[in-house]
Amino acid sequence: MISNIITMVRKELIDAARDKRSVMAGLYYAIGTPLLMCGMFMLLIGQMTSPEDLNIKIENGSNAPDLVKYLSSQGITHGDSQSTNENGDKLDVKDIRLVISDDYAAQMAKGLSAEITLIADNSNEKLQNSIRRLERNLQTYSSEMGSLRLIARGIDPRVVQPIKVNVEDEATPDSKGGVILGVATMTMIYAVFISGMNLAIDTSAGERERNSLALLLSHPVSTRNIVLAKVIAVTVFAMVGLLLTLIISKISYAFVPWQELGFTVSISTEFILLMLLTGLPIALMAASLQLFVSFMAKTFKEAQSYLTLVLIVPMMLSMAASYNIAPDILQWLPVSGQQQALIAFIKGREIPMLQLLLSSLTTFIIAIGLAFGMERSLKSEKIVFGL
Amino acid sequence: MIKVCNLSKKIGDVQALNNLSFEANDGQITGLLGPNGAGKTTCLRTVFGLLQADEGHAEIDGVDVAKSPIQAKQQLGLFPDPFGLYERLTPREYISYFAELNGLSRTQAKDATQKVLTELHMDDIADRRCKGFSQGQRMKTALAQAIVHQPTNIILDEPTRGLDVMSTRVLRDLLKALKKQGHCVLFSSHVMQEVAALCDQVIVMAEGKVVAVGSPDELCQQTGKDSLEDAFIQLIGTDEGIAA
Repeated sequence: MISNIITMVRKELIDAARDKRSVMAGLYYAIGTPLLMCGMFMLLIGQMTSPEDLNIKIENGSNAPDLVKYLSSQGITHGDSQSTNENGDKLDVKDIRLVISDDYAAQMAKGLSAEITLIADNSNEKLQNSIRRLERNLQTYSSEMGSLRLIARGIDPRVVQPIKVNVEDEATPDSKGGVILGVATMTMIYAVFISGMNLAIDTSAGERERNSLALLLSHPVSTRNIVLAKVIAVTVFAMVGLLLTLIISKISYAFVPWQELGFTVSISTEFILLMLLTGLPIALMAASLQLFVSFMAKTFKEAQSYLTLVLIVPMMLSMAASYNIAPDILQWLPVSGQQQALIAFIKGREIPMLQLLLSSLTTFIIAIGLAFGMERSLKSEKIVFGL
Repeated sequence: MIKVCNLSKKIGDVQALNNLSFEANDGQITGLLGPNGAGKTTCLRTVFGLLQADEGHAEIDGVDVAKSPIQAKQQLGLFPDPFGLYERLTPREYISYFAELNGLSRTQAKDATQKVLTELHMDDIADRRCKGFSQGQRMKTALAQAIVHQPTNIILDEPTRGLDVMSTRVLRDLLKALKKQGHCVLFSSHVMQEVAALCDQVIVMAEGKVVAVGSPDELCQQTGKDSLEDAFIQLIGTDEGIAA
C-alpha cells in the first residue's frame, strides 16, 4: 500500500506548510544561524588580526626610558584611567601594573639584573592574553639587552643560544580554517534537528491532542505506513531546512574577510552535495527520534521540553567532533562521524570513507530501530489515548 | 453487519466491558443506549480496533477486527467523539484525504468528496479551512468523512452532542437515508428522543453489560412503561447520567 503513504505524506506536508509555527521554526534557524555565524567570524577575525594597543600602568617609568620606548613600539603604553586617545575617547586601561624598581638604572649600568615587577590577577581570563603579550615582549627585550652586553664584552651572543629552533608550519591555508569550519558544519548539521522539530511534535503529540490520531488509526491503514509517512514528512522538512541553511551560508560566508586570516573558506557546490548526502541519514534519524519522543509525551508542551533535553545529545557529539576532544569511538557514531568526514573534506584531506559509511550505517540503524519502536507504541492503547 | 461476541475489557481497575454481546444488522439503525460511563465509547473503540479486548471479539461483515484489522476496517465508516478535524485543511481536502486512505484513487476520491459535499449542503464551506468552524459545520465535516467511501457499516459516537435543531435534522435525515440504502448504522447516545425517533433496535447498556435489547416499543412493553425514558430507568435501575 505505497499509495496511501504518498497520500499521507502529501497531507502532512500541506498541513505543515500551513502551520506558521512549524515553518517559522525552520526558517528562523536556516536564515538566522548562518548570519549569526558570519557576525561571529567577523568579530573573531577582527580580534585575531589587529591586536589593539595595550594600555597598562607603568610605575617609575622614568627610571627605564629605553624599556618604555621599546614597549610603546610594540603597542604597550602607559595610561591611567583619566587618559584619552587622539580622538578624545577614554582609553581602556587594563588592570596590569608594571613596577620598575628604584635602582633599575643603576643595576642596568652595572651590568647586573635590574628588577621589574609585573602585578596582575592571573586568574582573570580576560587579562590572560595581555599578560602573556607583556611577558613575551619583556622576555625579548631582556634577551636583546643580554646580546648587547655580550657583544660589548667581545663574545658572540650565539654562545648562549646553543639551540636554534626553526619552526615550519605545514598547515595549508584551508586546514587552518578547520576549527572555524568545524563550528560552521556543526550549525549546519544541527539545522536537520531544528527544522523538523516543530512538525515532528505537531504531527505526533499535537495530533493526539487534537484527537485526530485515534481517527487516523481507525482507518484501514497499517501503523507501519502511518509511521513511515510521518518520518518521511519530517525528513523532508529537515532536508529543506538544511538546504536553505547551506544556500544562505554560501552567500553570507562570501562577505567574511577570510583573506585576513591567510585562508579562504568557501562553501563549494561539492561541499553542499556531500553535506546533503551525509545529512539524509541524520535527518531520518532526527525525524524518528523526535517523533518517538513526542509520541511518548502526553502533550505538545511536554514533548517540547523532552526534545530540548534530547537534542543536547547530538549537540554534544557534534561539539566533541569540532573541538577535537573526541575519543576515537566518536568517529563511528552518528553525527560526529559524519561531521569529522565533512571537516576532513573542507581541510582538503581524503574523506575517511569507511568511517563515513559505518557512521551513516549506525545512524540508519538507529532510525529504523526508533521507527519500529514507534510502530509498536502506536499499537498500545496507552500511547494512542495518552493514558 | 457488526457483531460483538462476549467482549470483556478492563481499563485500570474499572471493568469497562463485561461479557458484552450484540448484533447490528444491515438496513437497520441500531442505538447503543446507556448512561455516562456505561462503556459505550469503549465498546465502539474496540469495534474499530483501537482498543484490544481482554476476552471476546468483534466482527465486521464476518471479519475479526483483531485478526485482520485492515480488511475489517475497509467496510467501516467512523464518526468519532471528539471529531478530530485537521484545522488547517479545508473540508474538501479533509474528506478526500480519508477517502484516499480508504482505498479510493485520487480522482475517485475527488468525485466522491464532491458528491458528499453536495449531499450535506456543504458547498459554501467546502474550501474554507476548518479552523473557526461552528459545531454544526464540524459535525457535517466529520460526518462526510465517515460516509464518503460508502462503507457498509457506519459507527457514530454520540453524534447529536452540541447540535442545534437544524443540524440534528440533517443528521437524522442522513441516517434514515443510509438505512434505506441498506447500510448498517450503529450509534451510541444517551439522548432518549434521538433513540426513540430513529432506532429500529435499541441496545440498553449499563456497567459494561447488555441490559435489554429490542425496538423502542418492545422495551416499553417489556417494562410496562409508556415512554422509553421510563422504560430505560426501569431497566438500568437508576436515573444517574441520563439526558432527557
